[in-house]
Amino acid sequence: MRTVHTVLGPVPADQLGAVAVHESLLSVLPGAEHAFDVTIDRAEIFETLAKKLTDFRNAGGGTVVDVTGMFHGRDLPLLEALSRSTGVHVVASTGMGPEELLGGYFLTPQTNPPTPWPADRFAALFGAEVTAGMAVPRVERRAPAGLVVTAVTRIGRTATDESLLRGAARTARATGVPVAVCPGDDALGDLEIVLEEGVAAERVAVAGLDRRDVARETVLAVVRRGASVVLDHVGADDDEHLTDRERADLVLALVADGHAGRVLLSTGAIGVAKGLPDDERPLAAVLEGLVPLLRSSGLDEPTVHRLVVENPRDLLTVRPGEEA
Amino acid sequence: MSRVNTVLGAIPAAELGVVAVHEHIGYGMPGSELDSTWWKIPEERYAETVPKLREFHEHGGGTFVDVTGICNGRDVDHYRSLSAKTGVHIVACTGFVGGDTALPHFARATVEYLARHFVHEITVGIGGTGARAGVIKVGVSRGGRMTALDRRIYRAAARAAVQTGVPILTHLAIDPEPAVAIFGEEGLPLDRVLFGHADDGPNSSITPHEWLLARGGRIGFDTFGYETELPDPPFWARPRKERLDHFLSLLERGHLGQLLVSADANCSPLGWPGVKGHTVNYLFTDLIPDLRDAGVDDAVITTLLVDNPADFLSIRS
Repeated sequence: MRTVHTVLGPVPADQLGAVAVHESLLSVLPGAEHAFDVTIDRAEIFETLAKKLTDFRNAGGGTVVDVTGMFHGRDLPLLEALSRSTGVHVVASTGMGPEELLGGYFLTPQTNPPTPWPADRFAALFGAEVTAGMAVPRVERRAPAGLVVTAVTRIGRTATDESLLRGAARTARATGVPVAVCPGDDALGDLEIVLEEGVAAERVAVAGLDRRDVARETVLAVVRRGASVVLDHVGADDDEHLTDRERADLVLALVADGHAGRVLLSTGAIGVAKGLPDDERPLAAVLEGLVPLLRSSGLDEPTVHRLVVENPRDLLTVRPGEEA
Repeated sequence: MSRVNTVLGAIPAAELGVVAVHEHIGYGMPGSELDSTWWKIPEERYAETVPKLREFHEHGGGTFVDVTGICNGRDVDHYRSLSAKTGVHIVACTGFVGGDTALPHFARATVEYLARHFVHEITVGIGGTGARAGVIKVGVSRGGRMTALDRRIYRAAARAAVQTGVPILTHLAIDPEPAVAIFGEEGLPLDRVLFGHADDGPNSSITPHEWLLARGGRIGFDTFGYETELPDPPFWARPRKERLDHFLSLLERGHLGQLLVSADANCSPLGWPGVKGHTVNYLFTDLIPDLRDAGVDDAVITTLLVDNPADFLSIRS
């Protein structure tokens, strides 16, 4: 059976429904959990996130993919309780990045010299989160991760960013989960590193491609290479990203060019932020904002369904990996 | 009135007894908690830790200063339980072992924010535990030179030390000129600073002991027991006799009042294998006999292990 790894276990891929594919539910800047002025009230966080997930479900949503990775506030018992309570499937991720967000364990280990971790060690760390289950640090492992995520330093790839990209790619190849990458200033170069590791391009999603600093040609090059693009700031109202009108035009252009199967849409919202600015955009911004805009611009219903249901389903479906 | 913050509340300095001034219940680099290689079930963690603390207590040990920094697996609830059950006073720290152990929330922070955080942990408490930090930890990142982040942490620590009266311990005393300059600029007398790891293998020869002592700093011979004679010594090990002779030479030159000793051992390491056979009890089983064999009298040993740490740890008003 074709299944997707959710926090509550495997779910048949055709039951996901409409998917918010690149979101952050609880996002904690590493270290903020120790800060004197940061309060982590789990009951309050649950209530906030449950409302957002319920609003998403009421707007027709079925599944939320949490791309915070393994070291940015991921709280598996909380995500499990949210999924059980709201009926929304939650897919959680392993992985981390960019380099600046890593702990010293990976960057200055207790060896002489303190050599940063190479790709194979990241692959083993991330891979265990798929094969043995996601870690509740020093306590236990829970359900297998549904995807592996990493990110590259915005101003340019560091050596450790490259190790993370390769480690994430090897994890995807070995376990059959997809890999999602937030690129730096060289999205195509970042993608090529992932593909060099032998992961199929269709298993790779490149996020953040609705940034203003990303050229239209770059977006086209990514989909022509066979990877998916995630336009993941739907509803954003800032100087850094396209407006929804511009985003809709980009989607229409990609569809017209024959790439409807390579487009993913998301809000990139943060449900609850700790140590970071809040982000109040609703998870349903794709379904309630962008999709109506696409329809009114002439996008047909099968293509809408393809973008919000079929493409994420195909990406998230776990493929038999080399070691699966 | 003399006071020292322990994890179970403030105590008079007279109650500290013999102090191990630079130790760890369990240390792991930030992020090591994600790697199940190192995970131990709680039974195992207590089984590794409690007998060492009980032995410490039976040897006459009074106080264990844990200098595990904020993001290194510092676990104050665990320390409270261990202290209550073994009778050993445990002092916890605020601060960071080095800039490279400060996670992004703190690495991005200003000096003012870091100082507020340290002061909060010293005067209000650490997280929700109610326990107040008794010392501030700072240190030099890997690489041997103070980074810009290391310097922000040192400056914030100096401000918190001036404001609250608790002392500072450093991880490494190499490249100390920027540290001494920062402490001077912030008005912190150097007898409130223990310049640590002045005795380890790679760093002892590049640590300017006399320069620091002349400025009033305290010197930590606080890696006693990490010896090249161990079956599997860590890279910071040093020949046993070389360290002891070095220490005795400083005593002979009259620096007794500025010297502190400890073992920097892990009771139950969190993110590394640890060093088999090395515990805080080296102080009793090896160091004190070695000092006596070298002709050091008991009054000097008491000064090193009781009086100096009591003076150092007492909150200065």
